[in-house]
Amino acid sequence: MVRFKHRYLLCEVVAEDPRCRRCIDERAVTTAAKGALARAYGDYGLACCSIAFTGQVKYLNAYTGVVLLRCRKDFYRLLWSALPLVTHLESRGQRHPCFFHTLHVGGTIRSCQKFLIQYNRRQLVMLLNSCTNKEERESIQKSLLGCFLQEAEEEQFQSGEEEDDCAETD
Amino acid sequence: MRSTRELGLAKPFATRAAQPGHHYLRVSVEFPDGGVRLNAAHFKQLIVSALKELHGEVGAALPVDVLTYDEKTLSAILRVSSSGFVKLWSALTLLGSYQNRKCAFRVVQTSPFLLALSGNSRELVLD
Repeated sequence: MVRFKHRYLLCEVVAEDPRCRRCIDERAVTTAAKGALARAYGDYGLACCSIAFTGQVKYLNAYTGVVLLRCRKDFYRLLWSALPLVTHLESRGQRHPCFFHTLHVGGTIRSCQKFLIQYNRRQLVMLLNSCTNKEERESIQKSLLGCFLQEAEEEQFQSGEEEDDCAETD
Repeated sequence: MRSTRELGLAKPFATRAAQPGHHYLRVSVEFPDGGVRLNAAHFKQLIVSALKELHGEVGAALPVDVLTYDEKTLSAILRVSSSGFVKLWSALTLLGSYQNRKCAFRVVQTSPFLLALSGNSRELVLD
């Protein structure tokens, strides 16, 4: 099979400042990642991981700070090891100190999405334990109930569905 | 044979040395504009800056040793671990300038064994 294989890195942008979340956009994340790659791996590393530059940030959620980055399968380790060297995101002339916390490396977008759904459910449970306000507690409980009901429905319908995203075994 | 992943390349590259081995290179640097004097420390810094440009901080941290250096002919024998051999050679090849002067690295001989660098069958002159 002659096709380009990719690895998708699911990362979370962690920052102290809550205003930082609203300012992250695709360009800031791309420039930060490329800067870290250039510093750590030079021109060679920058070129390896910046093929298909326009399609590199596949998903960005400004509310939770989750970013999905794509790179070639042969060079995903370069990108993965360069991500901890990112210290700040710059956008519109403002600098926000932050760091990238890699959650998952997957071979397809679908596997990353599955992981993200499970991760968000676990985060909701943790948030429920640690929330202070009664209204927050109620809204989190409502969303938790919603997603557990959905999970129960999925299990009923899941009868011999084949999972064909086993590209990670290459 | 090193696997392709260990060398960080997409295509296979074969080195026939013993596994945790070193590679030795005989190199010389040329300045076409002439009149440059480098001592051994400057030479080493030149190599490290070439590695840093092409391969970043990780490349600049590659353990390269200058075993001998001749200031008059600007030639040296370098030693590098086999895993970094390709990075070093590619960085030396792509070095274009040093302190705003044009320069070029010529790699005369390489071998995984230091003894092989003592003789050069290309420059052998009979009679």
